[in-house]
Amino acid sequence: VKVAGTFTFRGPRSVVWELLQDPDVLSKALPGTRRLVRTADDRYEGLMKVGLGPLTAEFSLSVTLADKVPPEHFTMHIDSKGGLGFARGTAVVDLADAAEGGTTMTYGSDLQIGGRIVSVGQRVVDTAARSMTEKGLEALQRALDERLADRSGER
Amino acid sequence: MTPYLGKRVPRNEDARLLTGRALFVDDVQLPGMLHAAFLRSDHAHARLQSIDTTAARLGPGVVAIYTADDLGTYWQAGPLLVPPPPVPDSVFHVCTQVPLARDKVRHVGEPIAMVVAESRYLAEDALADIVVDLEPLEAAVDLERALDPGAARIHEHLDSNLAAHVHQQKGDYDAARATADVVIARRFRYDRGASAAIENRAVAAAWDARSEQLTIWDTTQAPIPIRNGLARMLGLAESQVHVVAPFVGGGFGPKIMMFYPEEMLVPWAARQLGRPVKWTEDRHENFGATTQERGQIHDAEIALGRDGRILGVRDVFLHDTGAYDPYGLTVPINSQCTLLGVYKVPAYDSAFSAVFTNKPTVTPVRGAGRQHGVFVMERLLDLAARELGIDRVEIRRRNLLAPADFPHDHGIIFQDFTSLTYDSGDYLPALEQAAATIGYERFVRDDQPRLRAEGRRVGIGIVNYVEGTGIGPYEGARVTVEPSGLVRVATGVGTQGQGHFTAFAQIVADTLGVDVGSVRVVTGDTREFHWGTGTFASRGAVVAGTACRAAATTVRDKALDLAEQRLGVPRDRLELAGGSVRVKGDAGTSVGLGDLAAHANPLRGAVTSGVEPGLEATAYFGPDRGSTANGVHAMIVEVDPETALVRIDRYVVVHDCGHLINPTIVEGQIQGGVAHGIGNAFYEQLIFDEQGQIANASFMDYLLPLATDVPDVEMAHRETPSPGNPDGLKGVGEAGCIATGAAFAQAVEDALGGTVEILEIPLSPNRLFALMREAEAP
Repeated sequence: VKVAGTFTFRGPRSVVWELLQDPDVLSKALPGTRRLVRTADDRYEGLMKVGLGPLTAEFSLSVTLADKVPPEHFTMHIDSKGGLGFARGTAVVDLADAAEGGTTMTYGSDLQIGGRIVSVGQRVVDTAARSMTEKGLEALQRALDERLADRSGER
Repeated sequence: MTPYLGKRVPRNEDARLLTGRALFVDDVQLPGMLHAAFLRSDHAHARLQSIDTTAARLGPGVVAIYTADDLGTYWQAGPLLVPPPPVPDSVFHVCTQVPLARDKVRHVGEPIAMVVAESRYLAEDALADIVVDLEPLEAAVDLERALDPGAARIHEHLDSNLAAHVHQQKGDYDAARATADVVIARRFRYDRGASAAIENRAVAAAWDARSEQLTIWDTTQAPIPIRNGLARMLGLAESQVHVVAPFVGGGFGPKIMMFYPEEMLVPWAARQLGRPVKWTEDRHENFGATTQERGQIHDAEIALGRDGRILGVRDVFLHDTGAYDPYGLTVPINSQCTLLGVYKVPAYDSAFSAVFTNKPTVTPVRGAGRQHGVFVMERLLDLAARELGIDRVEIRRRNLLAPADFPHDHGIIFQDFTSLTYDSGDYLPALEQAAATIGYERFVRDDQPRLRAEGRRVGIGIVNYVEGTGIGPYEGARVTVEPSGLVRVATGVGTQGQGHFTAFAQIVADTLGVDVGSVRVVTGDTREFHWGTGTFASRGAVVAGTACRAAATTVRDKALDLAEQRLGVPRDRLELAGGSVRVKGDAGTSVGLGDLAAHANPLRGAVTSGVEPGLEATAYFGPDRGSTANGVHAMIVEVDPETALVRIDRYVVVHDCGHLINPTIVEGQIQGGVAHGIGNAFYEQLIFDEQGQIANASFMDYLLPLATDVPDVEMAHRETPSPGNPDGLKGVGEAGCIATGAAFAQAVEDALGGTVEILEIPLSPNRLFALMREAEAP
C-alpha cells in the first residue's frame, strides 16, 4: 500500500517537529491507537485497533525513527502485526516552511501488508489507509492548535 | 432384460440429502470433543525464527498447542502420491508438504501451529496469543520470473525453482513445419482458480483406548489410502484405523490430495489427548490451505497445409505447481496429452517445465489440466481457420480421427503411465449434431449479420474435447444378499455427490433382478470395504461400477446354483427376476433370493467345501487403460460493448461417455461441470500480489458464477461404447468444464468481429473491457 501526499499545518515547523516526536501526542492523533510508548531513543512501541471493512483487530506496532534531520526530515520503519495480518515498511516525512508561518509536510509511505487484511480487506485497504491518514493529520492539527494556544497563554 | 441401466432412476440418496439427514463430517459430535484451529502463515515466503506459545497455552479452554518441534518423529514430509511418468530424460524434484512449518513457510496459509481447545472459539482466540517471528524473504510468485537465476529459491537444496521437465514427441515436427503452408504461433495463458467446493475440508477423529481403535471422519475422496497411510504413520495396524468419508459436499480433486497437514494432525492429537478432536476448514482458510489449480503459460504453434490439415503442433509450456508437488505431474501431463484432442496430429513436440512458486500447492481440480490443452489446440485451430479462410467447423471436420482409427495410439505417455491410446470414439457425428442443434450455419449466415446490423455483438463458439477417464489401477466391490432379500453393496471409493448410491444400485439391481430400491450402497467406509484407491479421473462409474457388475454376476451365479438344487430345475431354465429365482415361463415356481441367502448360510448341515457361505461375492476391476470420452461444446453469447459483460444465450453439449447408466446423473454432471467451466472462463481468478498474498480470498471478491450466469445446458447423448469394460462405460465427471474456456473464448472473439484475440482464460469483464479498448485504440 502506498500513501503519499502533502499537508499544510497552521503552525511553525519547530512545533510540528516536536509534536511528531511526542508519543503522547501521536497516540492521540493516530486513529485507533491504544497505547504508544517510547522504549528507546527513536523507538516507539504500542498497540492499535484497526477497523477495515468487515474486520476489526488489534495490531502491535513498532516504529523506529531514522535519518533524523531536525526539524525537516525523518524516516519511520514500521512493523505491525496482529491476528489479521501484518504491515511493514517505511514512511518518509519532510517538513518545510510554508506561507503565513505554516509548515508543509510531505509524506510518503510504502507498506507491505499481508494476511487477512489483504485477502479479505483488499478492496477497502487503500480507502482505509487514506482515511486514517486524513484523520491523523487533522488530529495533529488540533494538537498543534492546542499547543500553540497553551504557549500563547503561558506568555 | 435391463430395466434400470440407461434409465432415469431417481437418485436414492436425494431424500436424505434434501431433508438434511445426510451425515457430513462437521455433523459428527462426540462427548468430550475438542476443536482444533491452525495458526497459518501470513507470509508467502519467510524464515521461521521462533514460535512462543507460552501465553497462548494459558488461554481459557486451551488443552494443547503443537508446533513442528512437538511432533517428534511424527513430523515428516507427506508422500509423493504419483511418481513421475516413465518418459526418458525427464527431470523431477520431489518436495512434498510438511505437517507444520519447521524452518520456512512457502505459501500463505501454510500451517505453523495447531491449537486444541474446548471450542473452536477458544482455539481461535488462542491463535492470536502465539508469538511467531517470521523473517520475510523475497517471494517467487510470477511463473516466468520464478525461473530467473536470481529468483528467490523456495526449496534451498535445489539449484532453482524448476520442479520438473518433461519432453514428449512423436513424428518429426521440424520436418512437418518445413513442409507447412501456414504456421501459427501464439502465447496462451490459463490462470489459477480455487475449486470452491460448497463444503470445505473437515476431519474428526476419536481414539478408543479400550478397543484400541481410531475412527476418522474425513472429507477425503480416497478413504482407503488415507486409512493405510495414517495406520503406517501412527504405527497402528490398518485394522485399528477406521476411516469414514461420509457425504461430502463436492470433491472436485483437491480432496484426493493427501496427506493434508490437518489430516495428519487431527487423528494424531486425538490419540495423544485421548479425546475426540474435530477441525472444519473455514472459507478463508480454504483459499490458502486447500490445493488449487491452473496456472500455465503455453508458447504453442501449429503447422498446417493450405487445406487446413494439421501437419504438426509444437508446444512449450510452464506449469505452476505451487510451493510443493505431492501430486507429481498429473496436471501438466494431462495438459500435454489432452491437447491432441479429437484430431489427427502426425507430429507433436511438447515440452513442459513445472515450476515451484510461493503459492498454494497445485493438484488436480476438475479437468485436471485437460482444459489447458483443449484451450491451446482449439484456439490454434480458430486462428488457423481465419488465416486460411476456412470455416471453423469445417477445419475441425477435416482433422477428426475417423472410426477406423480406433483404437488410436497417440504415441506418448498418459497420466496412467500407459500409452495415450483412445479406446473408441465417433467424433464427426457429435460435431455435426452439436452444429445442427445450436443452428451453427443459420446463425453464421442469417442471425449474426442481422443482429450485427442492429449493433448487437453476438457470437458463436464450437469446440471439441476428449476426456481421458476411467483409469486404473483398480476398484472393488462386495455384493451381499441378506436373508431379508435386501441387497448390500460396498465399494471403496468415496462419494462427493456423483450419485454412486443410485448408479451402482442400478447395475446390481439389473444383474440380480431385484428392485433398485432394495439395493443399499455403502461407499467410503473402510470397515465396509478394505481395498481401493479413490474417486478421481472420472473413474467411479467405470472402474467401481464394473467391479459392482462383476461381484453381482458372481452372486447371481451362486444364486442359480443354489436354486437349481432347491427347485430341482436345471439352471438354464432359471432366471432372476422380482427378487427371486424362478422358472422361465412359470413365475409360480420360484425361490426368493432372501431364502437362498439364508440357505447359503445354514445353522446346521454343512456348506460344501470350496463354496463360500452366504449369498455374497467380492470382485475387482482394473482396466489396462482408461476409456476416452469426448464431446462438443457450443455456445452463443452476446457481449455488452459498454460493460464488457457477456451473456450466454445458449449452451449446447453433445457428449459421448459410452453407455449411460443414468441420464439424469450424467446430465447433472454436465450441467454442474459447465457451471464450473463458466466460472473458470469468466469469473474465478485468484489474484496474487508480488509478495504472494492472495488479494481476493473471500467470496466477496472471488466471484463464482451465479445461477443467473449459468444457462440451462441443452444436451444430447451419444453412446460409443468402450471396449474396455463389459458395460461399455466411460466417465463423465469432468466433461462439463473441460471445453468451456475454449468455447467461450471463440464465441466472445466471434462476437467482437475478430477485433480482439482472446489468448487467455479466465477473462473477466474488466479484462475483456481492457482488451476491447486496446483494440479500439488507434
